[in-house]
Amino acid sequence: MNSRLTTIFFIISLFFYTVCFSQTKTAVTSKQAKLVSEISLSDQDIAVFKEQTKQKVEEFQQHIVTLGSKDEPAEKRNLAEREALKLFYKGAQMEISSVLSDGSVRKMARPMEKYLARLKSLPYTQVVIKFYDIAYIREFTKGPDGKYYSTATIIQEFTGFSGDDIIYRDVTKKEVEIIIDLVEDPFFNEKRWKLFLGDIKATETRNA
Amino acid sequence: MHRFHNYVINLFILLILLSGKVVLSQSQIIDSEKNFNLNVKQFNEFIDRFNYKTDFNGNPVDSVFKSKITRAKYLDLLFNKDDVRLKNADSEYIDLKNEFIKHVVDRNLLINKYSLKIIAEAKSNVKYKNNSKEISIYLNQEIESNGVKWVLLSVKADFLDVLSEDTVLLRFIPPTSNETNFISLKRVFDDSTYQHYYAYHNYSYDPLSSFLFALNTGLVKYQYVNEIVYHIIVIDGWHIQVKEFNRNTDNSGWLINNIVKTNLDPNECFEQIINN
Repeated sequence: MNSRLTTIFFIISLFFYTVCFSQTKTAVTSKQAKLVSEISLSDQDIAVFKEQTKQKVEEFQQHIVTLGSKDEPAEKRNLAEREALKLFYKGAQMEISSVLSDGSVRKMARPMEKYLARLKSLPYTQVVIKFYDIAYIREFTKGPDGKYYSTATIIQEFTGFSGDDIIYRDVTKKEVEIIIDLVEDPFFNEKRWKLFLGDIKATETRNA
Repeated sequence: MHRFHNYVINLFILLILLSGKVVLSQSQIIDSEKNFNLNVKQFNEFIDRFNYKTDFNGNPVDSVFKSKITRAKYLDLLFNKDDVRLKNADSEYIDLKNEFIKHVVDRNLLINKYSLKIIAEAKSNVKYKNNSKEISIYLNQEIESNGVKWVLLSVKADFLDVLSEDTVLLRFIPPTSNETNFISLKRVFDDSTYQHYYAYHNYSYDPLSSFLFALNTGLVKYQYVNEIVYHIIVIDGWHIQVKEFNRNTDNSGWLINNIVKTNLDPNECFEQIINN
């Protein structure tokens, strides 16, 4: 009889312990969830902006292909340069890390305008960019200025041709800053969220 | 007929060689893509994988993934496998790694990505008096107006380490110096590298302020960040170091470079990080 009572008491204690413990864990988790929800967009917004991020990044890469290919008409290349710049937030920079033959790394940062102008002057008749289908986009986080920030990672193989000859090829990992800002839409005369590209860090991937 | 026969054989060999080349280049591409999938591409992704939140493709970890890869195994993949201690099977470090993984898994510990206890050390190039120097800039995240930002915490640089210690000589400004027009101040400021002993009780030298002074007077010109090392002191008793490994292998990207077991509280741990 005594042992049966002890067993029942043990089961009841275990039940209460489990309930209390899980409540403590839930409390901690919901506190964190509240913080995250305060500083992040909703899941629906994230899905929409993630899709937009992919489109904008692809658009930018397409412009690079056009303005880097000397076989394209000058007018088309100039248009690609202007359209590419429109994708960016004012003041965006491109930082490029290149691995030198001695294994050291050289870094060079340029304003996006200068980067694009320089790319246009490179001696490629044709540029081919091969994408690896594994872009990573982190969740959007709100900054103290009310804008939302994210970073997209893309990995691409860049090949520059002169005629049929490959004169440059590299595999580069690019981290692209994404900024969502509330901007005035003159057409609708109201403020709307708009997605811009920001600073880009491009790193040449090393061989093992 | 014989010539035709040779032609067919040669063509056949050529086709085999060509198909071999195509298969090889395709497999290389697939391998590269596999590498990039396993590559921990951002520090944010490192935390999501550490927390067993997302799989290799960035999708939420589900029961199928859990049945294939346990959290312990997933955590193990976040260690730099090129670490000589792991390559040489250093039992002390392997035991420490296993103890850490068990500690995290048993308690289901998570890293809050906005924690104050995540410190980024941005190893940076500067020009100091026209000479290249590497310095460390320490940052962490603050929440302001419901938004997140990184803030400067401290700076470590040889050229900012200008003060010396002396426990023998008692240095002070005499009590009646005010009556003599503080003539003694000349001696105080000529007492090179020991001037801090003349400052108020509990004064502590602030390298960040000195750095800002040096930037604004042209002594230092900032160039760029060479490398980032994250110091994570979120998990009580442990100091985790994470950095990026840029190489073309499965084990690449943001990985645990070192773990240290510590008895220090987070503030003491931070002091140790910036003073070491």
